[in-house]
Amino acid sequence: MKVLVTVKRVIDYNVKVRVKADHSGVDLSNVKMALNPFCEIAVEEAVRLKEAGTATEVVVVSIGPAAVQEQIRAVLALGADRGIHIETEADPEPLSVAKLLAKVVAAERPGLVILGKQAIDADNNQTGQMLAALTGMGQGTFASAVKVEGDELLVTREVDGGLQTLGLRLPAIVTTDLRLNEPRYATLPNIMKAKKKPLEVRAPAALGVELRAYSQVLKVEPPADRRGGIKVASVEELVDKLKNEAKVI
Amino acid sequence: MNITVTDDDLMLSDALQRFCQEVIAPAAAEVDERSLSATCHRPALSEIGIMGMNLPEAYGGTGVSAVALYLAVEHLAAACGSTASMVTAHFLATDSILLGGTEAQKQAWLPDAAAGRKLGGFALTEPSAGSNPAAMRTVAEKTANGYRIRGVKHFISNAAEADFLVVYAKTDKSAGHRGISAFIVDRHSAGIEVSPPERTMGLKGGHVFEVALDCEVPAGNLLGGEEGRGFRTAMHVLDNGRVEIAASCTGIARAAYQAALFWAKTREVNDHPIAEFQGLQWMIADMATELEAARMFGLKAATRREQGERFSQESAMAKLYASEAAGRITDKALQIHGGYGYTREMPLERYVRDVRIMRIYEGSSEVQRNIIARTVLQD
Repeated sequence: MKVLVTVKRVIDYNVKVRVKADHSGVDLSNVKMALNPFCEIAVEEAVRLKEAGTATEVVVVSIGPAAVQEQIRAVLALGADRGIHIETEADPEPLSVAKLLAKVVAAERPGLVILGKQAIDADNNQTGQMLAALTGMGQGTFASAVKVEGDELLVTREVDGGLQTLGLRLPAIVTTDLRLNEPRYATLPNIMKAKKKPLEVRAPAALGVELRAYSQVLKVEPPADRRGGIKVASVEELVDKLKNEAKVI
Repeated sequence: MNITVTDDDLMLSDALQRFCQEVIAPAAAEVDERSLSATCHRPALSEIGIMGMNLPEAYGGTGVSAVALYLAVEHLAAACGSTASMVTAHFLATDSILLGGTEAQKQAWLPDAAAGRKLGGFALTEPSAGSNPAAMRTVAEKTANGYRIRGVKHFISNAAEADFLVVYAKTDKSAGHRGISAFIVDRHSAGIEVSPPERTMGLKGGHVFEVALDCEVPAGNLLGGEEGRGFRTAMHVLDNGRVEIAASCTGIARAAYQAALFWAKTREVNDHPIAEFQGLQWMIADMATELEAARMFGLKAATRREQGERFSQESAMAKLYASEAAGRITDKALQIHGGYGYTREMPLERYVRDVRIMRIYEGSSEVQRNIIARTVLQD
């Protein structure tokens, strides 16, 4: 079975982000970029399926400017076999991303597509679901466990009431939650080997997809600065303030 | 003369920085506080490939550039100085075999060492032969099957847990440094006694030992298969080693600098972050400048090493400057933290202690100046 795993280049989660002065977005200049953590979990799951003998090939795909090849190489170092880079300077919205991925799915015909449930930059949480709709595949979102049994995929999901297990017919789509696995570190020999793995570059136009804007960002604002607290003299005063000032009880 | 850092070097550097910060750094305070041997990290370091980072792929190493190696050691030392010390001591042993050994010796010893299955130690220094190895008293006498090595080595990193030591000994007592030969000694041979670890000021997890030797080694363990080549090998190995010490200094200094920067921006006096005061700004400016200069020196030496050129002068300058700058930077970083910096609740006093040895081992600052003066006057 071939597994397709998708990854996104985002601001490193350790970086304290800054909003641009004109409020048009987050300032990306001279900021450390990294793999989206949920995508890392997706990669780890794909590599584990290959190590278990369930998957025969792991293909990684990413969309973005030339720099996303850094992240594709990093995934190849983690154990993916080859990479596909869809090169665009645009920052496509989830529906455009899903349309591009649908074309890759049509060409590659993977048995399983694994995506992070969302990227930590825009927190859209849409691409996996949209890709399922576009390709007609079944979907198991927010997976905390994944198991292939014959031609069925068992996906455990963390839902409000506890754990829900879905049975999906393959091919299928899985989006990963935080507790699915703990990603490994790339070893130095594998980083060196990753340089020699194939990486194919495609243009969105060559895939027959026109990148469209379905929404428009009006403004981006940083959260309000935290203000200092106050001391109250008594429990009565506290209850009074919670009830009449904060209006939370 | 250019400094060349490739995209591959940066990719390796990024991956290793993350590994070092997430896996090695969290244990650094405990390693120091309890004097735990940094070999506790050997399994993780081996798995990631760091134990063989200095070796080519042909001998089981990772075959990365000297620049990537520099950056890796910097990240390792920023996370835990003791661990960097343990690893770079292992590199001195394997570099000895790589630079001085026969093809058969390299094939026999390096793959296991590169994979971290075997740990090495580098035994050159003696109680009365530090900066002047030619004064060493350890001797190797020919026997029927090989050599009998007798003598005492001091400040030998990793000795207790090492699987092999590269021991430098005199095969010709009358020939000065030309009488020195190097031997690969199985650490578990009969007649090797290792003291308890020295109680040191810093690098408390990078254990060093006294090693008393009266042991037999097979003739095939004479490094390079020829007597009298030990000094030359040791000098080449130490050219590499000094770049790694420079990287360690830069790493520890960077950790101290970043801690100080964070502290200066968040610690307030009269409702002003202390970073707003010019007195502190000037300290920070000096730290930032010296840190950058130390890294440039190290990267220049590493670039020359990568290009296969002589770099004795560059590596001596890198080690001299980085070790002295790191002393100043860690001291300023502690000063910026005030009383908190002096407590063991914060890592600043550890950085100050850990970095102090860097001006002493693998050639003191004074010896580096001798090397620099010699190479400058030669030109």
